[in-house]
Amino acid sequence: MSEPILEARNVVYSYSRKGPKALDNMNISITKGTKTAILGSNGAGKSTLFGVLNALYKPEKGEVRYNGTPLSYKHKSIVKMRSEVSILFQNPNDMMFRPYVGQDVAFGPENLRLPKDEVDKRVEEALLTVGMEEYIKSPIMKLSYGQRKRVSLAGVLAMKPSVLIMDEPTAGLDPQMASEVMEIAEQLHSRGVTVVMSSHDTDLVYSWADEIHVINRGTCVYSGIPEPFYEDRMLVQRSGLLLPSVYEMNRSLADMGSCDLEPYPRTQTQLSVKTSDSGGKAFGTLHVVTATADTDIASVIAEKNLGSMPSGAYGISAKMAIKKQGYEVDFLYNGPENCVMKCLAGIDSVIICDPDVIDLATSSVKFIGGNGYGDINVDII
Amino acid sequence: MSEQVEMDELAYSSRMVGWAPLGKLLFVMAMLVVGLVVNSILIPIITFTIGICLMAYSTNLKVPLILSLAILEAIAIMILGSGMISIMGDHSATALWESKILWFDIYMTEVSFNKAWLIFFRAIAGVTLMLAFACSTPIPHLAHAFKTLHFPAEVTELIVLIYRYAFLLLEKFLTMLSAAQCRLGYNGSMTAIKSYAGAMAGTFIFSMELAEKSEAALACRNYEGYFPVYHTPSKMSVLWVVVSVGLAVGLYYLGTQTEGLINMAKLFAPLLGWDV
Amino acid sequence: MTNLFELEDVVFSHRKDLPPVLKNFSLTVEEGARTAVLGANGAGKTTLFYTLTGVNVPQSGQIIYKGTPLEYTKDGLRSLRSDVAVILQNPDEQIFCSLVEEDVAFGPLNLGLDREVVEQRVTKALRDVRMTGYERRPLQQLSGGQRKRVAIAGALAMDPKVMIMDEPTSGLDPQASMEVMELAEKLSLNGVTVLLSTHDIHLAYRWADVTNVLCEGRVEFKGDADEFYSDTETVYKCGLLTPSVFSMNRDVCAVKRIDPAPHPHNACEFLAKFGRNSKSGKLLLVPSEPEDAEGRFDTAVGDLKGTNKGVYGSDVRNALTDIDIEYRYDGMEGCFKDVVEGKDSILLYDPVYAPTMDRQIDRLKKFGFDIDCEVMR
Repeated sequence: MSEPILEARNVVYSYSRKGPKALDNMNISITKGTKTAILGSNGAGKSTLFGVLNALYKPEKGEVRYNGTPLSYKHKSIVKMRSEVSILFQNPNDMMFRPYVGQDVAFGPENLRLPKDEVDKRVEEALLTVGMEEYIKSPIMKLSYGQRKRVSLAGVLAMKPSVLIMDEPTAGLDPQMASEVMEIAEQLHSRGVTVVMSSHDTDLVYSWADEIHVINRGTCVYSGIPEPFYEDRMLVQRSGLLLPSVYEMNRSLADMGSCDLEPYPRTQTQLSVKTSDSGGKAFGTLHVVTATADTDIASVIAEKNLGSMPSGAYGISAKMAIKKQGYEVDFLYNGPENCVMKCLAGIDSVIICDPDVIDLATSSVKFIGGNGYGDINVDII
Repeated sequence: MSEQVEMDELAYSSRMVGWAPLGKLLFVMAMLVVGLVVNSILIPIITFTIGICLMAYSTNLKVPLILSLAILEAIAIMILGSGMISIMGDHSATALWESKILWFDIYMTEVSFNKAWLIFFRAIAGVTLMLAFACSTPIPHLAHAFKTLHFPAEVTELIVLIYRYAFLLLEKFLTMLSAAQCRLGYNGSMTAIKSYAGAMAGTFIFSMELAEKSEAALACRNYEGYFPVYHTPSKMSVLWVVVSVGLAVGLYYLGTQTEGLINMAKLFAPLLGWDV
Repeated sequence: MTNLFELEDVVFSHRKDLPPVLKNFSLTVEEGARTAVLGANGAGKTTLFYTLTGVNVPQSGQIIYKGTPLEYTKDGLRSLRSDVAVILQNPDEQIFCSLVEEDVAFGPLNLGLDREVVEQRVTKALRDVRMTGYERRPLQQLSGGQRKRVAIAGALAMDPKVMIMDEPTSGLDPQASMEVMELAEKLSLNGVTVLLSTHDIHLAYRWADVTNVLCEGRVEFKGDADEFYSDTETVYKCGLLTPSVFSMNRDVCAVKRIDPAPHPHNACEFLAKFGRNSKSGKLLLVPSEPEDAEGRFDTAVGDLKGTNKGVYGSDVRNALTDIDIEYRYDGMEGCFKDVVEGKDSILLYDPVYAPTMDRQIDRLKKFGFDIDCEVMR
């Protein structure tokens, strides 16, 4: 599935007639169904690019294509595009239009001219996804920054986009909230949404993105998988960026002879795996318990005698179930990674997750197994 | 990033920024007053020319688009206003043009026509003179001038702060409108209106929150109620008073001598086929 | 170390009818310590900072600065604020004047200083944030990152003894963030007590001497970061996660069945602990004033063309703009990593950072790694 869903071809755009060019010969192609990250220093043109891709700004030269067709800037086609491509602005306050949470989330679906019960349904679903369902009748003014961010995300999710563009989604959020937002993005992606994000958090982007596009002074200087970009240190520097710490450490370990350069670890867990060089030791088993919002987790755990093991949670429904039942897990954040590390240390662990993210939850196991470090047994319940 | 031109930016790059703000204000007010006091149309024409020249000098003929549009808009309104005056003449005098459009009685006399022109010139003289002043005097300088005049500090503070935040809020408002577009807030006119309303409400709320935070931030920088001016502008010298008052008095006498000299009706008579 | 600030049982709420944001809050801030303040959104960090600058007056409890309780009089506050400066997260909330130099001068002028003193401070502050030449620019024209730097300059111009930085790197790209941290380090070395609040737990972990964690209006923890992060439950309760270097160390040690201590705080320490190399490469330290930088660079590199070079400190960095340097923005991390790997490396830096180098060398000894370094004269 490598067709482009959003493209900019030779786009030139300036904010004012005599001003500098914000985008200069910008060529970028966002592949459908990928997790894409846009990197660049401040002022490189990332926000402008988003504006152009979403038809907020019309390019002076060049064209923007959605699903292969060039955008005609006619009202109807723009409306159609915006009902499928949504942008989440960095500052949630910029996206709040109604005083109450439920009303604001309904803003998008209502503008889509959907029938009332469909709108209500979507609002409820969206708020559940971000964990703000209790606040449906709260005034937005009373919410904290993190809560507002989640509400603005819900507002965008309620439009059920096929492309979600997020401008610095984790900026200003505390670590747990940031992790939750990324989990939601992951789960969306597993449901087929193309997720595009811009962020200054180098390590986060490296652990998350399939493809990166690097913007410098209004042009795209690199598109593709991260590793070849980061191999060119001077290019990274000229683009105003730094190398991810996991990448650097992997490189150093390889240079020291502690391990091979490839496979490239993207997350800290994968790097830990390579560092610990655990070949030969006995691994624990990873038990995967699939859960929906109504699953009685405590009884499943008791039934299978998994109560004494360290546990983690991953996925929207799983976390909802846990919250509802007040079940305590050890790893509410980074669940799969932490559980896998426990297994690596020889301890059995259990991960409670949504049925549709089993692959995500067990991806680190594949990393370990597929690269000759030994296999962790996975038992799916 | 807003596309709007900041008046302050214009003012700071003006060639007249170094002139004493109070001096400029006195001069401009004097010209305005003398134009209003005399009945000769020559004087407002002269003060209008002065205003235009000052504006040209101040901005070095690089007038930003938005300012030009504002001036043109003002002129259009004045033309409308003067036009109204010109057609509401005294029915006891002879009409140059008498007509009826819909329910409107048009009765243009020589007097009303001349009066309309006089008012028009007074008005645009006022606009250009005030603009020349505004384009060359940054708000902080003005505030400093007010302080030396012992204006109530609260009023000055209010002016400076409103001005300061107006652009920030405008920026915010525009960002919210973009966000609304992305959520299809312009899909239909009712929807668009609701989006505007929502954006305005959002901007208002933002301004409240910003006010709270700014208050704390100001306190952290030991704000004691007055915005200090780093580079104090020149003080008004006696020369300003002499020039302003002298010119005003001179123009006044010129005005009394030239009353009725320029009769706009007579000037236009051949063009419009009037019998004056 | 003397206690600069002592808060005892402070209770503060914004209005009488609202629940208190700070509840029986007790905290000490040691002079000269690199102090991190962590906590979830809403834990009370910003409220704490405003309390330290005398903006928030607590309903009960004491705030003692340099041994005397705070006086909320005009003179008392003026004296406090000439010592304690805050940089807030959002520059738009703290920039009030139209021109850059006016805004930077705002604070010092409000402190009643003479014009010449103010001028000197403004020039120096703008130089420190690399905004010289922007004096007469209207602030509306500047980008977000530039406005942030102007806000920092405004605080620097107050010449404070305590610098409170609320999320100084948020919204900045990686290279600009490194420069801000270099500035924080320089302040520390010049005797300023820096309080840093950030959501970037990895940054705080690398940098801080003392870590304070706030949770729901109270100080949940104060002390050594390693001790805090070892208690995962408390970490979660406070809305935080463990820094990646910490968790990697913990996980790898769990697999290898060894004791996690000593905990590496950054990449080079991690590599020193787990890497398969025990022989240090040669590290050539080249402290340089900006005027001599190019010359010293050429001397240092000499025939060693293949060696990686790094820069730490904005003065030296600016003096070497046209030269290709491998570790231009991550000089310390890059060069020390190379050396731990066994390669040679050259590190140029502003002379003021000499203690920082020593500190890192000492820390690496804890991991059994003796750096072979030489300081070029």
